Amino acid sequence: MYPEDLCRLIERVDATRAERLKQDVPRLTEAEQADLLKKYHPDYKDCAFRTLRVGPNKGERTTHEIADLLESFGDLDHSKVPLTPAFDTDVLVLGGGGAGVTAALFAGQTGARVLLATKLRLGNSNTIMALGGMQASVDRADSPLRHFADTLSAGKFAGRQELVRTMVEDAPEVVKWLLDTGVNFDRDSSGNLALKKGGGLSAARILSIGDHTGLNIMKVLKDELRRDDKIEISEFTPAVELTTNERGQCNGAVLFDLGRRRFITVRAKAVVLATGGSGRLHFQGFPTSNNFGATGDAIVLAYRAGARVEGLDSFQYHPTGVMFPDHMVGILVTEAIRSLGAHLVNVRGERFVNELETRDAVAAAIIRECERGGGVTTAGGRTGVWLDIPVLEQIHGAGVLRQRFRALFRQFMRVSINIVRRPLLIYPTLHYQNGGILIDVNGETSVPGLFVAGEAAGGLHGRNRAMGNSLLDIFVFGRRAGVAAALRRGENPGAVGFGHVHDYYERLRALRISSISKSPTLFPDFIVDKL
Amino acid sequence: MSDKKLITMELEGRKIRVPEGLTVIEALWDTGHDVKRGIGCLSGLCGACTVAYLEKGAGKVRFGLGCQVVVTEGLNVIMLPYFPSRVAAYRLEEMDDPYSRLPEVYPEVTGCTGCRACNVCPEWINVAEMMKKAREGDCAGATEPVMDCHMCGLCASRCPQSIAPHYVGLYLQRASARRYPIPPNLEERLAQIRDGVYRAKWDEADALDEEGLKEFCRRVREEPA
Ligand SMILES: Cc1cc2nc3c(=O)[nH]c(=O)nc-3n(C[C@H](O)[C@H](O)[C@H](O)COP(=O)(O)OP(=O)(O)OC[C@H]3O[C@@H](n4cnc5c(N)ncnc54)[C@H](O)[C@@H]3O)c2cc1C
Ligand code: FES
Repeated sequence: MYPEDLCRLIERVDATRAERLKQDVPRLTEAEQADLLKKYHPDYKDCAFRTLRVGPNKGERTTHEIADLLESFGDLDHSKVPLTPAFDTDVLVLGGGGAGVTAALFAGQTGARVLLATKLRLGNSNTIMALGGMQASVDRADSPLRHFADTLSAGKFAGRQELVRTMVEDAPEVVKWLLDTGVNFDRDSSGNLALKKGGGLSAARILSIGDHTGLNIMKVLKDELRRDDKIEISEFTPAVELTTNERGQCNGAVLFDLGRRRFITVRAKAVVLATGGSGRLHFQGFPTSNNFGATGDAIVLAYRAGARVEGLDSFQYHPTGVMFPDHMVGILVTEAIRSLGAHLVNVRGERFVNELETRDAVAAAIIRECERGGGVTTAGGRTGVWLDIPVLEQIHGAGVLRQRFRALFRQFMRVSINIVRRPLLIYPTLHYQNGGILIDVNGETSVPGLFVAGEAAGGLHGRNRAMGNSLLDIFVFGRRAGVAAALRRGENPGAVGFGHVHDYYERLRALRISSISKSPTLFPDFIVDKL
Repeated sequence: MSDKKLITMELEGRKIRVPEGLTVIEALWDTGHDVKRGIGCLSGLCGACTVAYLEKGAGKVRFGLGCQVVVTEGLNVIMLPYFPSRVAAYRLEEMDDPYSRLPEVYPEVTGCTGCRACNVCPEWINVAEMMKKAREGDCAGATEPVMDCHMCGLCASRCPQSIAPHYVGLYLQRASARRYPIPPNLEERLAQIRDGVYRAKWDEADALDEEGLKEFCRRVREEPA
């Protein structure tokens, strides 16, 4: 329920709705967009970044939060970790989201023994939170080439061509696999896959399952995992360090059993890191849409083992993160709302940006609007602008919201805000890690034996991920990494060790760095600064 | 430390004062509970954080999501463990009509008495209605609401017959996907890729330098469909 002061401000939104519907907000020119991003997008805020002094990407820029983790000693006492492995397996998959589960399923299909270890319960991940949908070029009017061109353009041509090509070419096959497994993508009346348009896409290409796409895929894949008895699952056991052999190849990991508070060493022929993104590092103090476990652990683990990263100075801030009520701050309002024509409205009831600009531009425009006094401030001290959702009932007819956005409707009815009648207060929320650990087309990193898939990986999305490409990415590269990792099962993994960590720490010492951090972070400290 | 108003509540069986405005999960953290097990998305989307609570003066215990329920004066709340459920083993690809096999896969469905105790869904699914449809053979009807289910298992925890409606729903959902033939648009695209329809264009793209690639992408995007 909105307090009285916000209700009064909402009256302005209601009063201007009819006028706004007639209004056409011009699109930004290329130059205007570049200028807007430079002045207001968080990626361009120089003081939030610094240059790494150590490791494979020495001399390159990343956020202070990541640099703090990489330029410090972890709090793990390696001398307390048993070097005799408690488990021996062929493929060790770290992370139980979409990428990890897919890698495990495909590795398992080859006959390899698989251990999947994850931080929380299996499936608790960003994957289940994906609402909008997944890209795949299946429409007659579309093609893999269009998908390729859209993806590279969205990423400002910083994505790697061969990775993008691999993703778009594999997409239809991955969709077929999901359908065969029992994923029920929405269909149209002729039995075709139903397709939606998305921001920046030149064709209708988004597949979905109601407004709960990721959840419904994950439910099925998790169920599928149950029947393969060569795949073992270990929940509540996050990875805290990778291990390497004397040749520098990755051959396992140390897990931390959250219940027993004990370390478990696992040896494997190959490791697939699929631990997802880093929203819970709350870069620049931004709220986040990400799940509790999204603390960027893969970056720390892989970087210490010598893996190159790419694009870790670029993050996606989703324009529409909730700002009210306080306990929902950061939660995502799906982009589909804007795609259908919802307005962004300032405190005076005016639109200030064409809502269909790309995510980065819309986010920057909202930040600009708030900085120049067009924002609405809550009693909790947060500032945002209105997302006029009720306008959709006028554009698309009464009932559209309850019918097409069931999850969103419920989410806000729980706090007595009816989105059919009330706008939501929103501000950009930290949403996605555009970069990550650099991979090749089989998901392998610059460290032999170490594969990465999903949001933790880098090189694919350039400086801005297009809507729906992440769900696709995790299945395409989860599959490839799983298969490629399983091919290593004939190899001798050698003895597990921490040579790479000792070398890395040696370099920190040489730079006279002495700070200690909880790295990997594993869990954010008390999340909400309400106290 | 803070000028926030404090409220008194009963948390995991302990009477305690916490600042107002916190969710149940936050109140647990604030009072030293190191909860990890019941936490996932923190957005009300994943169902990891189910709680049972009694509001001050209320006569009926309610159920909800701990990351979304905000604590109030006099609230009595506990987190619920993940309830054990029987899960059937099945191979969908070996069944011709998986819908019709429901009574074999989950025979307990026939034992549902329609008592409606399962209607505690935090996603407002009318579980009893769904089970009724499943029992009566209207599998398509029963599948429809399942898309909103996030498998929190609250319904199963209330069932006196030990039925796990969320797993029944998942079975129906997977079965429904297999009832349709491969989508024609997907089949066509797979054939085109197999036949190398795009190969020449890919070769062209591969040979380009950076500027050329930008131009190529611009052209492809602007081509009329
Ligand atoms: C709210 C929201 C909506 C989204 N909507 C869309 C959408 O509509 N379309 C789209 O394409 N993309 C969307 N995305 C992005 C997409 O969902 C994610 O980028 C993608 O699912 C990531 O998959 P993943 O498997 O790489 O990581 P995740 O799904 O996050 O899985 C990572 C797993 O690793 C575990 N883990 C973390 N650290 C460790 C550790 N140290 N050891 C072991 N395990 C660990 C985590 O607990 C988790 O289970 C959305 C994201 C969010 C947050
Ligand atoms: S933590 Fe996911 S619903 Fe509460």
